[in-house]
Amino acid sequence: MNTSLPSTPQRQQRTSRWISTAFSLCALTAIALFFIPAFIIRPFHYQAPRALLIAMALRQRAPLGTLIAALACFAFALALWETAGRWRRSILVLTLLVVTFSAVMARLNYFEWMFHPIAGPQFLAQSDSKLDAKEMIMAVRLGTDARAYPISQMAYHHVLNDVVGGVPIAVTY
Amino acid sequence: MWTRTINGRELHFYVAGINNQNFLMRDKETGTWWQQITGKAIYGPLRGAALELVLSDELTFGEWRSESPAGQVLAPVAKYTKEYDSNWEPDVAKLPVVISFPWTELKSRDVVVGLTINGTARAYPWETFAKQSPILDRVSGTPLLLVLGPDGKSFRVFLSRIDGRETEFFLQDDSKSDTPAGKKDWSLLDTTTASQWNFQGCATSGPAQGKCLARIPALKDYWFDWRNYHPDTTVYRR
Repeated sequence: MNTSLPSTPQRQQRTSRWISTAFSLCALTAIALFFIPAFIIRPFHYQAPRALLIAMALRQRAPLGTLIAALACFAFALALWETAGRWRRSILVLTLLVVTFSAVMARLNYFEWMFHPIAGPQFLAQSDSKLDAKEMIMAVRLGTDARAYPISQMAYHHVLNDVVGGVPIAVTY
Repeated sequence: MWTRTINGRELHFYVAGINNQNFLMRDKETGTWWQQITGKAIYGPLRGAALELVLSDELTFGEWRSESPAGQVLAPVAKYTKEYDSNWEPDVAKLPVVISFPWTELKSRDVVVGLTINGTARAYPWETFAKQSPILDRVSGTPLLLVLGPDGKSFRVFLSRIDGRETEFFLQDDSKSDTPAGKKDWSLLDTTTASQWNFQGCATSGPAQGKCLARIPALKDYWFDWRNYHPDTTVYRR
């Protein structure tokens, strides 16, 4: 009967390697779910239709995916912590920071930091407006309501949800 | 501009990304991704749905004021006023272009008036349009009238038919004058009824008085953007 089992330190090492691999995979998943879409959808960069589809698919799954991956990462890191040296621990901490960053960012819409939405649009009578006569506006007339949206403002906010003449519309530029 | 109601459900949109110089939006209700320029849902639960276009105009504030004196204008949001660039036109023109079509006859940042009729797209170079307005053209068998406003900046496109009958339009002689009086008396004349028409496409005098021409949606855009979303577009030449 062959009773040779791997000695305890060797077994520990092998388990440790599996956990390290698992940790790396989870970390990669969490990071990829946020960073790949962010990389693809960046301003002034052309997006091919296929790349855009991938970006949207990842972004859609990112909030839940990064959360699960991040929790797993923390669990694995905990398992590795005891036997990890200082150098390894630094790597674990660094990786966990990036993973946390991804998980948080996956739930935030940083495009709205760049282009703040208008929370509750206010409207002015023409006499109260400081617009110059030559400034360009987008004009809409629905029912008896006539509204103008200055392009200088819409070029920043990009989208506004409004109701004109009882019709809900999206003003876009 | 688009309506926000799909299948009886009101959606609320927010900016979710940039796609080749246009932006992507998502709705809060389903998380579906929509293309700003086409109003189509390209990914998510409502994929394939299309928002209905709302007819809108790009006018100068002055022109709009004279047409809709009771209209309201969006107020600037105090904390973002420094982001609003009233000089946006030349400033945007300086931004890098994401895609170009060097083999085409127009340059990337050339401005065009773009429209589609029954799926056929045509672009009218702004420079040409400004010089030749009013332009009579035919796209997919449909007679069109493209008009530059008295302010030289506002524009509209109409169906060139009165009561279903094809008609031609000309700028009335004194409208061409650069004097304020010329601008005030700006009007078009049609060859069928010899009525006078204003920039809103309504007859102000003559046999057709009170009638208005049907409007055609058109987009003022950069060539590279128009060409990117309408690869089969033709370009108006005269």
